[in-house]
Amino acid sequence: MKRAIICFVVSISCFLLSGCWDRTELNDLALVTGIGIDQKGKEIELTAQLVVPKKLGAGASMGGNNSGSSGGATIVRSGTGKTLADAIAHLQEKLPRRLFWGHVKVIVFGEKAAKAGIRAHMDFLSRNPQTRLRSNVLVSDKTAKSVLELLPPIEQSSAEVLRELSNSQILMNITLKDVLQMLSGETGAAALPMVTLLPIEKEKTPLETIAYIDRTAIFKGDRMIGSIGDKLTRGALWIRNEIEQANITVSLKGAEGKITSTIIRANTKLIPSYKNGRWKMTIDITSRDDVLLNATNLSLYNEKHIHQLEKALAQATIERVNATLKKVQKEMHADIFGFADVIHRKYPKQWNRIKNRWDDIFPEIEVKVKANVVVQRPGMNTTPQGIPEDEVKK
Amino acid sequence: MQFFKQRRKQTNKENVPAMEREHKQPEAVVLSADITQNIQTLQTIYENCCDVVFRSFRIGGEVNATILYIDGLVNVEQLNIAVLPSLMTKQAAEATTLASFLKESLPVSSLTTVQTVAECIEQLSSGSCVLLIDKQPEAVALSIAKWEKRSLEEPTGEGVIRGPREGFTESISTNLSLLRRKLKSPKLKTKAKTFGTYTQTTVVVTYIDGLASETLLEEVEVRLSRIDVDGIFETSYIEELIEDNPYSLFPQVINTERPDVVAANLLEGRVAILQDGTPFALIVPASFYSLLQSSEDYYQRHAISTMIRWLRYLFLLVSLLLPSLYVAVLTFHQEMVPTTLLLTMAASRELIPFPALVEALIMEIVFEALREAGVRLPKQAGAAVSIVGALVIGQAAVQAGIVSAPMIMVVALTGIASFTIPRYAAGIALRMLRFPMILLAGSLGLLGVMLGLLLILIHMATLRSFGVPYLSPMAPMQWEEMKDVLVRVPLWKQNKRPRLTGTKNRTRQAPNQKPDPLEGDDQLSKGGQS
Repeated sequence: MKRAIICFVVSISCFLLSGCWDRTELNDLALVTGIGIDQKGKEIELTAQLVVPKKLGAGASMGGNNSGSSGGATIVRSGTGKTLADAIAHLQEKLPRRLFWGHVKVIVFGEKAAKAGIRAHMDFLSRNPQTRLRSNVLVSDKTAKSVLELLPPIEQSSAEVLRELSNSQILMNITLKDVLQMLSGETGAAALPMVTLLPIEKEKTPLETIAYIDRTAIFKGDRMIGSIGDKLTRGALWIRNEIEQANITVSLKGAEGKITSTIIRANTKLIPSYKNGRWKMTIDITSRDDVLLNATNLSLYNEKHIHQLEKALAQATIERVNATLKKVQKEMHADIFGFADVIHRKYPKQWNRIKNRWDDIFPEIEVKVKANVVVQRPGMNTTPQGIPEDEVKK
Repeated sequence: MQFFKQRRKQTNKENVPAMEREHKQPEAVVLSADITQNIQTLQTIYENCCDVVFRSFRIGGEVNATILYIDGLVNVEQLNIAVLPSLMTKQAAEATTLASFLKESLPVSSLTTVQTVAECIEQLSSGSCVLLIDKQPEAVALSIAKWEKRSLEEPTGEGVIRGPREGFTESISTNLSLLRRKLKSPKLKTKAKTFGTYTQTTVVVTYIDGLASETLLEEVEVRLSRIDVDGIFETSYIEELIEDNPYSLFPQVINTERPDVVAANLLEGRVAILQDGTPFALIVPASFYSLLQSSEDYYQRHAISTMIRWLRYLFLLVSLLLPSLYVAVLTFHQEMVPTTLLLTMAASRELIPFPALVEALIMEIVFEALREAGVRLPKQAGAAVSIVGALVIGQAAVQAGIVSAPMIMVVALTGIASFTIPRYAAGIALRMLRFPMILLAGSLGLLGVMLGLLLILIHMATLRSFGVPYLSPMAPMQWEEMKDVLVRVPLWKQNKRPRLTGTKNRTRQAPNQKPDPLEGDDQLSKGGQS
């Protein structure tokens, strides 16, 4: 009995003396949903978007009175410092609650910060145990703060908006893990989605808008060297085999009006080859499409018309990809497509010889684009709608 | 089996001389031929007992006799109409021997001759009349017992939707008859014993000869023989005196008030202990999984029973872990909660004055208090308690800003979860363990929860119930037994009895009983029917 009491006392004191040292109540945490990193002269400015639980409406005040108030659930605070860690320490000074990075959804770089280099920041973000490798990384065309301080009308926070937009995968969807992989990969280049502010609607305050992804920032090493627009970005997505959703509109020979089709599945293969000291890359695209809209008078139940359409779609895809290649490969010389990785995998011996000269070799690679499109279904209508039956070209 | 031997050695060593029973000494006296002396002895023993009736009369108007009984235990009507008149007739005196007369013409089915005072007392206590006759050195006990009994009712603690609705009552004879009606074989053995110096309670050990193993029976006997107490009012007394680990929170014996449960367990080679005066029977040995099974598992369709078992296993974990996981995640691992959920929780916790740990403890303790009050309260106060309870664990508490809404959900869910466990004793053990778990979670986070779980698991793995490992058939693992643990396979697949208790006779039923419309065709055509 005596032994049991001693055991009990010892174990209890073990818990009580050592136990709760890292305990933090939820009420003492400042939940960060987005981080913005800007360059201010020589200093780094870190902006944190914080959720204010009080304003969330749900919970303690059950009256349900102001649950409909738009936005206002987040605030932003900034701190500056020589490094990101410095800036965080400075930011913490201005906050009554402890910063909690476990729920960071987006990391936004201001354009200046991106051009100054992001490696040091990446090191910090990946070293910190709280930040998640799954958070999305974006570049803002102005400052990161201007993006985070927005109070979006639909979602809870602008960080949430950016995450949803990234996940829709219409343009680039890059997470912290992807950035780290791209930066440490063979290619020496990276591509990050770039956001811009949506113009403000009438009768709305300047903050009541969102930032949306409309471009792609191209990085060489860890510095941003330029950006490409949404069309070229989609070309890059084709090459990177990341295309998820795309509508392609083409017009066919001998018919007025246009046909739009949408991708069901698409797959891209990069096939490198090495002959006579010259590198060649074949981009082999296959996709399966559905017809969305047919404004021509062609009946898509005719196999000939379908073949014609498939060829036109393939041609449009090839043109799109070629335009991207021209800009990114020939002008920017940034291998955001992962050519280096493919070559390394297929020709490991040769790669060892050329990897130091990759920046010179990459723009010179001869790229051949092949596309194979299959239109699977012409949709619910057998004939073009809205025109008399006899005008339909069968 | 080794385990049994070890235990027995220990008991021999510890065997303390039986308690001195002073008041039994005069009872050992043999009845004398002198009736006045016998009456005197009995009257001194039953001094100050107003319910003991001494009725003196003459048999056939000649021989002095006295009939003794305890008021309320005897069918007085029968005594008046049948017994006394036939004793008082003339023939009674004229009969050659008194004994032969009693046997021949007394309209009572059960007659016992008793020689000692002690036997007299025993017969009187169990509701017989004792007839003392002058010049006879022995008495006759007439068994015409009758006392107030509760009628058969549906067991309240173990309700079923489909299945027999009768439950045991407080009367052991009724209970044994219920059991005998379920198991009509003469192989059903019922061995009676008496416990309690003052209560003299009948305890019956029942088993099926040829199914229950001898070692188990022997062990039950040995453990029961060590019981020497002044009174037994519930089988829980016996349970506490025979269980393997008396300090454990977990019940190591199944208790039930359903005859069908007892019968089914006897068929699996277990032993049941019934006691007079309580509707609860004990079944040994028990395993943890048998405590999670309801009799209805076998009365429902097997697929449904399987799903209900999984549900029980899930809610078993919920009842043990949900509050502690909530506390751990909220105070240590905020990154584990999905963002939107965390924000909702943060919003509802914003104005709460207590840390999550304290909040959880308060609410869980209040819940336990409400549960206890609900069991104990007088029926008239029931409505008041349930209304107040709904206020304390509910909207009002949230509006008052004392607890957060998610915590109410957690507490309510835990409460519901613990009641999905069919055996109350097992459910309450887990409910009690939730408190140390909450404390561990509040001080060490998920690490503490894991620590607590490991401790519980280690403890359960060390437990045994009459030699059977408590976690069997999971630990030690026996794949064959999973048919009745992980799932509940159809009846036609349960051809073998459980390995640990049904060792003596493994075969339960004939194989290949899977019903199939084509199966009977042969017989039909052979029988010449088309």
